Amino acid sequence: MAWTRARRRWAWALALVLAALALAVPLTVARRHEPTPSGTPVNVLLEDFKVRQDAAVVPAGTVRFRILNQGPTTHEFNVIRTDRAPDKLPLQRDGLTVNQDAPDLDHLDDASGLDIDDRRTLVLRLAPGHYVMYCNLEGHYLGGMYAALTVR
Amino acid sequence: MRRSPSAEVGAASATQRTAAGGRSGIGRLVPRLPILGDLRLGRRLGWVIPVLIVLVTAIVGYNARAIGQQRGSALVVYTAARQRALVERYTKDVLLVVDGFQADPEDSGEAMRQPVDVLLDGGSVRAPQGGGARVKVSPARDWKVRRKLEQDRRLIDELIHTGDRLLKGGRSDPGHGADVTRLRVLSAQLSSVSNDAVQEITQQTEASLSRLVRIEIALGLLSVLAALALGLLLRRAGTEQAAQFRSLVNNSSDLITVLAPDGTIAYQSPSVQRVLGRRAADLVGTALGDLVHPDDQHDVNISLTKLVEAPGATANFGCRLQHEDGSWRHVESICTNLADDPRVNGLVLNIRDVTEQAALRKSIGDLLHNLARRSQGLVDRQLELIDELERSEVDPDRLHELFRMDHLATRMRRNVENLIVLSGVEQRRRWSESVPLRDVVEAAVAEVEEYDRVQVAGIYDLTLAGRAASDVAHLLAELVENATSFSSPTTRVEVSGGPTGNGYVLEIEDHGIGMSDAELAEANRRLAEPLAADVAVSRMMGFHVVGRLAARHGIRVQLRHCWFGGVAALVLLPAVLLGSAGEHPAMAPPVPAGVMAAPEPLLLAKTTESGWQPRAHLPLRRHAAPAPNRGGDTDAAAEAGEPVE
Repeated sequence: MAWTRARRRWAWALALVLAALALAVPLTVARRHEPTPSGTPVNVLLEDFKVRQDAAVVPAGTVRFRILNQGPTTHEFNVIRTDRAPDKLPLQRDGLTVNQDAPDLDHLDDASGLDIDDRRTLVLRLAPGHYVMYCNLEGHYLGGMYAALTVR
Repeated sequence: MRRSPSAEVGAASATQRTAAGGRSGIGRLVPRLPILGDLRLGRRLGWVIPVLIVLVTAIVGYNARAIGQQRGSALVVYTAARQRALVERYTKDVLLVVDGFQADPEDSGEAMRQPVDVLLDGGSVRAPQGGGARVKVSPARDWKVRRKLEQDRRLIDELIHTGDRLLKGGRSDPGHGADVTRLRVLSAQLSSVSNDAVQEITQQTEASLSRLVRIEIALGLLSVLAALALGLLLRRAGTEQAAQFRSLVNNSSDLITVLAPDGTIAYQSPSVQRVLGRRAADLVGTALGDLVHPDDQHDVNISLTKLVEAPGATANFGCRLQHEDGSWRHVESICTNLADDPRVNGLVLNIRDVTEQAALRKSIGDLLHNLARRSQGLVDRQLELIDELERSEVDPDRLHELFRMDHLATRMRRNVENLIVLSGVEQRRRWSESVPLRDVVEAAVAEVEEYDRVQVAGIYDLTLAGRAASDVAHLLAELVENATSFSSPTTRVEVSGGPTGNGYVLEIEDHGIGMSDAELAEANRRLAEPLAADVAVSRMMGFHVVGRLAARHGIRVQLRHCWFGGVAALVLLPAVLLGSAGEHPAMAPPVPAGVMAAPEPLLLAKTTESGWQPRAHLPLRRHAAPAPNRGGDTDAAAEAGEPVE
């Protein structure tokens, strides 16, 4: 059977599609097998005006905070190490926000600008001790948006 | 000749191509753009134009949408800012009242609810520019914004509830401190939520605006591409059309010549090589007059001079142009004055070589003339024979029959003479002496079969130049014949005359059924512009003959409606053909009216009193046929107008 011009054209198109597939499939499979970061997962839910987590005590080492803001307001997530009680953090002069620069507070890390339905992961290497997780937007901490975490 | 239906000229129903030439599909829907003129755009351009229109419309639409979004966003920001101010005011009012100062927290609490209600449910707020104007705000649609605003509303309720508790308990209440703190915290939270909502709205607006800007940039780029494509296609269409036009001009058998205002040739189409054997470049800068035959130069100059004075006008003329080999080519020219058009600035002549047609016409004319001459000789001999028989005949009945034969032969002779006129050959016989006008009129009337219905009145005692006498008599005979033929046999045809500012006018009026306006216009056109011999001429031969005879001597002939019905033919004899005992026609008194039935001695002889012999062989007894029942008495016949020798 003679190869007409149209047949040749179709054959070229098929070859190109097969080549694209041959390149795309291994890449996709490789991405799916990327190693997940290790560490103790702690699922954190933020909402107006509460912080909830699924574990109050975690082992020392890498802790992976998987944060979800259920809103409806935008929040931030701060992690500090302190021996103070969670509701007794020192306030700034405005009386509405936590003074993170206070000497007995060790501000470790934060995730800010979490809009409603935003998800974020924060990975920290935590030594044994007492930690507080809170939102430091005006009035949020005083509204009750904090939680304690103990690392052993 | 006159009441016959106008010759219908079958107009070929050629399909006209539109300026867009051959467009199909959507191209057909695109209206002709005046800016494009007669440019043939083709099918491709038919697609580009709607695409361009759609793109521009989309850009305008997106612009309007972006402006609307910006305006709405600004209003939301303003409304939210106002709400924050009201929250702070309410908090202060509560604290002031608790401390014993005068304030109205109830009012500020109510005002505090309004902005969030408007943002959630839609409504109107006071305009930022003040002046009592209000601006409508649409309800928030985005679910994130709505949830934040609903939270805002809940916090306001809680704030007001806390405020009420403070106001109710006062400073002495044990929970006073906690409530004050709660009030401040709620106030801060409200501020936070409000800010959050505004930020969300602003971000969304910005994102939407960015999207719109990107779309507009893309649309703009597409528009630029479409405009470029349009330009390229226009240029290509223009180039193709120019090439097509150039090819047409170069290969046309017609010449296109542009004359500069000074009469020199400013442009000459290359087809002149084929027609006149000359190179176009050689002719540019030379005078057109150098090519024109000396006999035609006068007429050409007159035509062009008249045209130069009328910008935009068109004139037709024919002439002979000299070929490179020295021969003369007959041409017809349509000339348009485009001196006002800066792209031309001159007279545009479309010249067609009609040498072959002219030769053919001359050949036909010669043939016609030769045949007519032969017939004329025979008819003349026949008339002479009839004449002799009439003279020797005494029986009134037979004489009457002879008169009828005589009339028919006379009509045949005029038909033959008509053919000679149409052949284009001038009369060989011309009178050198002037002839009384009345003689000419009566000679014309005498040629008509129903001459006894014709009444001649008020003809001035003028003379007519001998060179025109024969033609004028022929011309008048045709008009009188026409008048008698197309009016009732019981009515009269009146021939009268009167002086005008530039000559003398003869009027031939009949009482017939008249002509329609269209017929009259057509007949006048034939009279003013007699054509070459063709089929149409044979249908309306009389008018063509009259027109040709009139044109020979500068006589104007026009038909018009009579107020009493019928048609009047006006024949204006120019002053140059006239003479009189006095120098002015007005000085010559009119001759009293008389009906041709009354015998006129001057017409009963071969030669009139003035010595002028009416056309070639004028019948001798035109005036009155004897009644058949009348006796054969020659005296009685003479009294009745019979020919008398």
